[in-house]
Formats: sequence, structure tokens, C-alpha cells
Amino acid sequence: MKIAKFFLGCAVLSALAVTGCSTTVNSVENAQKSGQRYPVADKRVVTDSSLNSKVYIVGLNSATTPGGLLKVQVELENHTGSTQRFLYQFEWFDANGMQINNIVSAAIPEQIYGGENKFIYSVSPNTNCKDFRVKFIEAD
Amino acid sequence: MKTKILYPLGLAALTAIFAGCATNAHYVQTGDKEQVVSLGQINIQDYANAASDAVKDLLASGALDKVPNPPALLEISRIINNTSQQIDMDLLTKKISIALLQSGKAVTKIVDPMAANYHKEIQPDGTTKTTRLPDFTLSGKIIETVDRAGDTRRTTYSFQLSLNDPRQEVQVWEGEKEIGKQGTRSSVGF
Repeated sequence: MKIAKFFLGCAVLSALAVTGCSTTVNSVENAQKSGQRYPVADKRVVTDSSLNSKVYIVGLNSATTPGGLLKVQVELENHTGSTQRFLYQFEWFDANGMQINNIVSAAIPEQIYGGENKFIYSVSPNTNCKDFRVKFIEAD
Repeated sequence: MKTKILYPLGLAALTAIFAGCATNAHYVQTGDKEQVVSLGQINIQDYANAASDAVKDLLASGALDKVPNPPALLEISRIINNTSQQIDMDLLTKKISIALLQSGKAVTKIVDPMAANYHKEIQPDGTTKTTRLPDFTLSGKIIETVDRAGDTRRTTYSFQLSLNDPRQEVQVWEGEKEIGKQGTRSSVGF
């Protein structure tokens, strides 16, 4: 009897703890879009399937700024009911595949609420940049 | 007899545990997973984060492209420090000026006094050449806000930057990045 009470207590406490951590997002948007996204075909390398299953990459789209720079936007979706923290980092490459590094390639800490869709973006360091890669690292 | 055996074993186990927890000095990258997050202080990765956001936003706005003779001439003006800590503002402004120079969208005005003197000396008639006015100046402010609830402390640093057109006397771009940290003590990780 005592053991049953103990396990029941543990279950209630665990439920409370999980409820306390979860923050999910409800959203609403216009159904008929007037803007048009230009999706980019992507190639994914997943070494951390845990992060990939939690913070899912929905897709990429790109545009060119008035000054001719490449602007890339990544849509992410949190497939869990709790807030997820991660680092992301954009890397940029010129026409010869050489990496161009500066402060726009800094690792940026980000968080996303449960069920939330979020966009992250970056702009190429200069007009010679043709390609890019985005890295994601889960927080401990 | 049992105590005689267990005591050294326990001591050895404790030593092993503490040795495992100790971290030897090693090189780290700015903004990596092991970054120190200080509650009452701007960390090195915060400057990188704020500068990165400002550069992305400024380049995407196209404000620097609207000059008659590109690239735009930029002068870094005063960034006011309204925080409780002493800040070397180059930790922020240098990152921005490097990125803008690399973008080809702007060049920054000489701040080196030796280079400025050399510029004066090379004038053939000895007169001071009319200096080219900057197309833009970059000014701003860093503000610290502290909130407390019990032991929990939240510090927010607001990095506010403005790109000013001195000829038109208008601000052509403004950006703000807020970096908030909350907790009871500083930690490693993010």
C-alpha cells in the first residue's frame, strides 16, 4: 500500500514537472497569401537525430537584397511540447567553393517554443557568395 | 578490517569523481557550446551576436547602396555605454566595420593619427586638402536593464544602433538587438 502511494506521488510530481517545463504556441495567419516564397532545394546531413526530431527544418527560401546580396531564410518547427535551445551558424561560400567568414557567420543561440514555427535568416557577407550551409547544435 | 578496506576505496572513488569533474585549460571558439554565460556582464559572444544581427539587418536594408559614389564612406561615431560595466567599444564596432568593409558596401574613415598626418604631409602646396565628408555615421547606445524576482535575476542588454546621413540630417537605418539572460548564477553553456 505504502509503495503504491509512493509511486502515485512520484507520478503526480513528474506530471507537474513536465507541465511546468512545457510552453507551446498557438498561432493564426492569413489563409490566402499574397507573398510568394521561392523555396530552395536542400541537402541535409543529420548526425544528431535527437535534435532533428525535435527542431525540424521545414524548408529554405532565398531572395536577393537590393544590393545584390543573397538572403537565406530557414523555417524551423518544434515538434515537441517544450522549449528547445540550440545554436545555429551560417557558412558562406564563393563561386569557387571557398568559405568566406566574418561576423555574419557567428554562432547564434536561439530558442523555440513547443509547437512553434520560427524563421532564422542571414545575409551573405558579399556579392561573391553563391552557396551556403547552416549548422545546428543542440544545447546541453 | 572491513572499514580498513572500505575507507581507502571510498577515498579513491571520491578522488576519481572530482578529477573527472575538473576541466583542464583548453582552447575554445567564440560562441561554442561551452561558452560562459554571465548574468551581470556582457560576454564576448554577446558582442558577436549583436554585431552579426546589426550587419545582417543593415546589409539587407540596402541603406548603404543609396550613395552617389559607392562604396559609402562610413565614420564610426559615439556608442554610449549605459551599462554598469566598462566596455571597450571596439569589441562591437570593429566587428561591424570589418564586415561592412568585406561586403564592399562601405569603407570606414581613417582613425589612425599617423595615417592622417601622412595625408596632410603629401599635399603639394602645403594646404590641407578638403576632407571627404562621410556619407554615413554610425552611432548608438548599449543599455542594461536588471529585473529581480527572489533569487532569480534577469539582465537585458539592448544594443541600439543608428546609421545617420549627415547631409540630409536623417537616420536612414536603425537596429536594436536585445540579449537577455536569466538565472540565479552564471554558468557554462547556453
